[in-house]
Amino acid sequence: MAIDWITVSAQVVNFLNLVWLLKRFLYQPIIRAMDNRENGIRKRMAAAADREEAATGTRQAYEHKQAELEQERNALLEESRREARHTQKRMLDLAREETTRVRHQWMQEIQEEKHAFIDSLQQQSLEAVETITRRAFADLADEQLEHGIARLFLRKLGEMESGLPAPSHSADEPVIIYSSFPLDEELQGELAQAVREKIGNDEVPVHFQQSPELICGIELAQGGQVISWNLADYLDETTAAIKQAFRPLETDGTGG
Amino acid sequence: MTITPDSVIYGQWGPLVLNATIVFTWLVMAILTVGSWLVTRHLSDGPELSRWQNLLEVLVTGIRDQIAQVSHQQPGPYLPFVGTLFLFIALSNLLNVVPGYLAPTGSLSTTTALAICVFVAVPLFGITSQGAGPFLKHYIKPTPLMLPFNVVGELSRTVALAVRLYGNIMSGTVIVAILLSLTPYFFPVVMQLLGLLTGMIQAYIFAILAMVYIASATSAHERGNGQEQPPTPNDSP
Repeated sequence: MAIDWITVSAQVVNFLNLVWLLKRFLYQPIIRAMDNRENGIRKRMAAAADREEAATGTRQAYEHKQAELEQERNALLEESRREARHTQKRMLDLAREETTRVRHQWMQEIQEEKHAFIDSLQQQSLEAVETITRRAFADLADEQLEHGIARLFLRKLGEMESGLPAPSHSADEPVIIYSSFPLDEELQGELAQAVREKIGNDEVPVHFQQSPELICGIELAQGGQVISWNLADYLDETTAAIKQAFRPLETDGTGG
Repeated sequence: MTITPDSVIYGQWGPLVLNATIVFTWLVMAILTVGSWLVTRHLSDGPELSRWQNLLEVLVTGIRDQIAQVSHQQPGPYLPFVGTLFLFIALSNLLNVVPGYLAPTGSLSTTTALAICVFVAVPLFGITSQGAGPFLKHYIKPTPLMLPFNVVGELSRTVALAVRLYGNIMSGTVIVAILLSLTPYFFPVVMQLLGLLTGMIQAYIFAILAMVYIASATSAHERGNGQEQPPTPNDSP
């Protein structure tokens, strides 16, 4: 166990050399590389943090924008719905009005058609009744019936309480007696006599004329005065009565 | 039987002797330096790195962590010295399994040289850290009466460093040599494996003790202020 001091010195030098060599070739490069790597990692982390922050900011901005868009969309939707409801109501009202108008028009047309039909029916009925009656009366009428009617006229004239309401200035005017058939002279004389008595003027001229329009009967005319008893008048009265009878039907028809 | 590689002499020029200790020290130095150079000439500071760079980074990081753990200080200034102590001793001991290799750490000259380096480095680091005055005051604390004991303590722990490493490595070699003559085949192999473990432990102990001494010198000022005291492992392994 001897110590060789020369070797010891050499080893000290060797060791110090080794310290320098390792510092030069091992520790410094390795530590530098590790530090560089750490710095790189730190930079990348910082960059990543920056990017994350930016991304977070962008995300928040987008979320905000999205929320705004959503809100806007909801508002638009709500407005559209309201408008749609309004339009629907307006269109329904229009349709209802149009329907009412069309229905009213239609009802009016129906009513008019009904009236026209009723009028036509009435007219035709009247015409038919009148035609038939006239034909019947015309067929039945003859001189004998006419004479009967004339006598009846005579009697009625006699039954009249006052005279003919002839104004004073017309008392002298000629009296015209119309008949559908020619009257015999006797009857003519009786009629003239009765008329003159009623008028109270024996000098008044009495003329006799034939008028087929009367169908059957007698009509006495002086100036503007007319006294008649004939079938045509009866028929006219009957026609008026029938028209009167139709009137409630027309009233009902307008109500319907 | 070769007790120490100092006695294996390859050449002599006057007083200068080229013995096995120096030769194998150069070998270890060459392996360490060339290996480091080969790896560190293409260093990558990106996320992808070679296996060898990874190995060296693990080594360096481990040493730095150990230094920081022991000294509670930044490992930067101490890394080259302490790290080189560890790597040199560890590689010297590991190569013991190579036939024909003689560990330089099995020579008392080498271990003395390393201990002297530590002996010089401790006050150097202490003075660099605290200045000469406060560092030297450390020797007369708690009273000037303690000065001789402090100096003796300083010397004796240096001697202990040298002898501990030398004794462990030399004894391993001696034991293997003795066992070879007694039970030649199997048992010496086991002892060689045990020698590898012992070698690694000794490298660790030497480096850690050196660091502890340096730390106690550099943190004397803090200790004087009643702050945390660095751990002082038992000197005897």
